[in-house]
Amino acid sequence: MCGIAGFSLPVGLHPPERRARHGEQLRRMTAAIGHRGPDAQRGVLLDGIALGHARLAIVDLEGGAQPMRDPASGAAIVFNGEIFNHPELRRRLEGAHRFRTRSDTEVLLAAWLAWGPAALDELNGQFAFALWEPRSRALWLARDRVGILPLFYAETAHGLAFASEVKALFAGGCVEPALDAGGLKETFQLWAPVAPRTCFERVRQLPPRSVACFREGRLEVRRYWDLDLSARAPAAEVDEARAQAELDERLEDAVRLRLRADVPVAAYLSGGLDSSLICAIANHQLHGTLSTFSLAFEDARYDERGHQEEAARHLGTCHRALEIRDRATGDLLPEAVVHAEQALLRSAPAPFLALSAFVRRHGIKVVLTGEGSDEAFLGYDIFKETKVRQFWARDPSARWRAALLRRLYPSLPPVGEGSAALLEQFYGAGLEEPGRVDFSHLLRWASSGRVLRFCAAGFLEETARLDPVEQLLASLPARVAGWRPLARAQYLEMETLLSGYLLSAQGDRMQMAHGVEARFPFLDHRLLELAARLPERLKLRGLREKYLLRRCAERWLPASLRARTKFPYRAPVATALVGPAAPEWAREVLSPEAVRATAVFDAGKVARLAAKLAPDPARATEADSTALMAVASTQLLARAFLGRREWPDQAGGSFVLEPEAEAA
Amino acid sequence: MKDSGSPSLLAAATPRQRIRDFIVESFFVDDFADDASFLRSGIVDSMGMTQLVAFLEQEFGIAVSDDELLPENLDSLDRVVAFLDRKRRRAG
Repeated sequence: MCGIAGFSLPVGLHPPERRARHGEQLRRMTAAIGHRGPDAQRGVLLDGIALGHARLAIVDLEGGAQPMRDPASGAAIVFNGEIFNHPELRRRLEGAHRFRTRSDTEVLLAAWLAWGPAALDELNGQFAFALWEPRSRALWLARDRVGILPLFYAETAHGLAFASEVKALFAGGCVEPALDAGGLKETFQLWAPVAPRTCFERVRQLPPRSVACFREGRLEVRRYWDLDLSARAPAAEVDEARAQAELDERLEDAVRLRLRADVPVAAYLSGGLDSSLICAIANHQLHGTLSTFSLAFEDARYDERGHQEEAARHLGTCHRALEIRDRATGDLLPEAVVHAEQALLRSAPAPFLALSAFVRRHGIKVVLTGEGSDEAFLGYDIFKETKVRQFWARDPSARWRAALLRRLYPSLPPVGEGSAALLEQFYGAGLEEPGRVDFSHLLRWASSGRVLRFCAAGFLEETARLDPVEQLLASLPARVAGWRPLARAQYLEMETLLSGYLLSAQGDRMQMAHGVEARFPFLDHRLLELAARLPERLKLRGLREKYLLRRCAERWLPASLRARTKFPYRAPVATALVGPAAPEWAREVLSPEAVRATAVFDAGKVARLAAKLAPDPARATEADSTALMAVASTQLLARAFLGRREWPDQAGGSFVLEPEAEAA
Repeated sequence: MKDSGSPSLLAAATPRQRIRDFIVESFFVDDFADDASFLRSGIVDSMGMTQLVAFLEQEFGIAVSDDELLPENLDSLDRVVAFLDRKRRRAG
């Protein structure tokens, strides 16, 4: 994995003039994302385009330098990510292309030259890249199917600028940093901005599974892939044993492909079913040499080390846990926000920042992780909740409502029948319209939307006409509306939380802060497509989640690990931000003057919220914690980016601008 | 700044006003209709209901039993006021 940056240039400039006018800009942009690629930083100025690359060397350590050019056509590429099936693609391309390196970058370039944008359909990988075709003067940008890797762009007076992280666009002077009120509003309600919007004005993100072409000053964006969740195969027609065998095979192959690297691959072990299963398969394929890493918490409410140690013992991996002390989350948050580049409703990304540093200190650049299984195999509570609420909607008089709720949320306090009636009232919202596309997420979005109560009047006025939910629904392919309720829920979950938060704010950005690449076997598109075709009863059976996956896990994991119900990964919020243990920065950014200066939140309400929580932050409610986190992260975002002139410049003198002769 | 949180004003206010103030202060809503469902319109979530009940018990010296935790009694300002009325009349 790496970082990329670049921008379009006027055509016809003499090489020395190009270098004088644009070399420093390209260097600054590449240096700003130097943490993504500490191994080398290089750039090239061609007639019409500037391309920069910060490299984390994983495949073909000697030959894989970028930017890479094809001598015959003059096409050039900067590429962030991995094409896992590059050996297979290389064999198919060898007749037409004379390969000079062993790198997957050259395979990608050759595939594009051979097949054009249709090459995207052949890639099994996680990627974001920019490819320049000099003959047509077209700049292509593409992003992987799930949105594992980021790619931002801005249309400027001079054309188009792009980068793996927003800060490179600021460092290059392509855009002046300003918060985007609409992007913030969407984040407060949906957990992430609706692509292409971001939390910054004039900065756009290429939506996942999309390819863009910038030519003659015009940008065209289209989706090249989508997950089809329309499957209505009659349950009887699907043979369970055969489906399980197919899933077994796909899963093992997804892991096998993701162990391909010229450096050691380790894994994160959370203690849950998904990561344990991935680790078991990987350790088997690596003949018992897998190293595993995990987060442990000083605060027992968040800690899972017992389960992690049990899993590691069973698997026989070399396991290391990093303990997050109570104060650490608060101390890590400012840096986490600088990397995440978006407002956050949870502090959970911050500990991952410490984990990636820890992993890197142990000499590891690549880790496997278990994300994606809960989306693909209906593991989250929100899917069960949707199923229960759909059931109520069909039979409003059902007497067993309370019993179902209790099965759904066994952790609800054991209270009398009366309280169950209140819960029914709460979870019963939206039952009149079970066909609504957002039926599954209404309650969650109403909850997170409470953050808006804390916003400043001016901010609310400015964004009055933007309804985040409407915005999101308008961005969905029309066919989603015709799918079954759980399929719609699944799609919404992947559109919002997965790509917009888990894989970015809590994923790529926290890993790449320290040059660690995460790989996700469950997000292999062939596995996602297989899961999409399975009938729902093989995923959510009754209220038992990930049914078929559990069956697959039987031969890898003992019953005690398989039987675990989901333990949501969380980190402290209120105790990290207010009260006696609050860090100095939190006092500063939450002060009325600072809140007023950013003008997103109402200083009076924020002061009241902080005063309410300060005496006993450990007892803060979910709603109050979410609001406090939204305020603190927005304030940090403003402090870190607005009006800033100096940007990270890790490259120093090590940036190499390729010589003019070669570049001409 | 609002001063609706000061104790002297609270004591002088009607139960309806005191409960409204509590909801505004605790759940940071600016305004809501007297008959709006707390739970359906997202004014208060299910955890918040526990806080509301604790407030009613403390502030008005009543005891709310499990079988009274019903939407009919608690799920709007109008309903809470009527419920409180019934409880106090029964007690008095």
